[in-house]
Amino acid sequence: MSQDTNTTANSNLDWDANDPHGINPHDDDHGHFIADWRMQVGVLLALLVFTALTVGFYNLEQWVETAFEITLPKWINIAGAMSIALVKGILVAAFFMQLRYDKALNTFVMLFCLFCVSLFLGFAMIDLDNRGWIDENRAVEIQDGGVGAMLNAASADEAYSIIVGPKVNTAGMSLVHYARLHGNENEHGLLYYREKGKEAEFWAHFYEGHATHRDLLDEHNFFEQMGFGHHDGTSSANKSVPRHGLTPGLFSDVAPVTDAHSSSHGSSHESESETESHDDDH
Amino acid sequence: MTMIETDTSSVPARILKSPKHWRNRKAASHWRSGDEEFDAAKFGMWLFLSTEVLLFAGIFCGYAVFRLLYPEAWANGSHYLDWRFGAANTAVLLLSSWTAANAVRLAQLDKQFWFKVNLVITIVCALLFLFIKLKFEYMLKLPAGKAPGTFFSYPMAHDPHEPLWWSLYYVGTGIHAFHVIIGAIIFAVVLWRAVRYQSYGPTQYTLVENSALYWHIVDLIWIFLFPLLYLIH
Repeated sequence: MSQDTNTTANSNLDWDANDPHGINPHDDDHGHFIADWRMQVGVLLALLVFTALTVGFYNLEQWVETAFEITLPKWINIAGAMSIALVKGILVAAFFMQLRYDKALNTFVMLFCLFCVSLFLGFAMIDLDNRGWIDENRAVEIQDGGVGAMLNAASADEAYSIIVGPKVNTAGMSLVHYARLHGNENEHGLLYYREKGKEAEFWAHFYEGHATHRDLLDEHNFFEQMGFGHHDGTSSANKSVPRHGLTPGLFSDVAPVTDAHSSSHGSSHESESETESHDDDH
Repeated sequence: MTMIETDTSSVPARILKSPKHWRNRKAASHWRSGDEEFDAAKFGMWLFLSTEVLLFAGIFCGYAVFRLLYPEAWANGSHYLDWRFGAANTAVLLLSSWTAANAVRLAQLDKQFWFKVNLVITIVCALLFLFIKLKFEYMLKLPAGKAPGTFFSYPMAHDPHEPLWWSLYYVGTGIHAFHVIIGAIIFAVVLWRAVRYQSYGPTQYTLVENSALYWHIVDLIWIFLFPLLYLIH
């Protein structure tokens, strides 16, 4: 019976904004929220202002760093950008997506999802932060990544080999160094410049970018010749410093094992990492 | 009780009599009411949107892990990107989000002309977003060798992990751009049905509402992708 009354209500077009579906003619409080256009314009303007703000903050920060020759801690950059993004996100969800006016269930679904995301991110970060606790070797970077070793490894059985990209044979070189040497159709690599006798030009361009330390392929030490041979502190996850010269301690833990053990077995600990590992044993 | 004036004099009889016109559409018979159908569809959409957030959470988590492991590659990577194109795309998406929200309101008020205008603006913004992305970003970076994984061949890279940065950049923005394409297609369907049958009005606007929700989540994800990729270094 109720089905019939609904149909009549709809076909008569006897509806109002508070009961758009014509279902509950006696329930005057019920209805779908219709947004106010002024509110929507206001939210759009707020979002655009926040976009300008985050871009302004980024540029201000860059300007401060160059004008006063200081390095700001990286959390300022991250906190500034992400807090503004969070405010913008809340504005979109609450007003454009109408969570503020909607059933609480929909907000609950999204909040539960974000809770799951926080577990996901949180545990990944805890893992990264605590790797050194259990296995010392997992705390450090074992090799300078991006080495195309697996791409070049001969497959035991050709029929089961998986090709993940164009066949690249870097001859054991990292992808980045391979690219540096060979370049591509649009940008020439080191080999091209060597052929033309303009190697200095290549390295000048390379080191002026953001030189970190002398490159493996820089055989004639243009790094030192061009005056980049000093260093300014190191980067960490919270602070990235463009620097010149070798990273302090970069090669300290890759010294040949045989030499160290034969000459000074158990008597001296030269490098910091060795001392630290010794302390942890107790 | 506010009545919404519905002037049907200018609507051709062919459209008014179509079973797909919003006045003639009914809730499916298994629903007790049209309201229940609407609420269930919208709740289902929110469940789907939460899985979308989880999809992008994987990318955000990858970003966080690799940034902690390889801070220099990530710092260099963000300096390769021009914030102006990111900001322009943010503005384009915000504007389209607003027109999508407008489209819902105008469908609720049965303002068919402006409803369609807002749909068109939303679609145009989606195409503009893709144009900026392709023309000023992908098409400049890929030929220079700033490509993901083994496709990488940029000679001036400074950090061995930069191919990884580009992998994350192209996967993140690529999946997002894929969502933009899907959103534009959904809005095109809505527009077609609005033009052909006037399918959406005060009692029938579920698809408009849900496609706008989808579009807002696409915007929401870009709101976080933009600072992560372009501004944090």
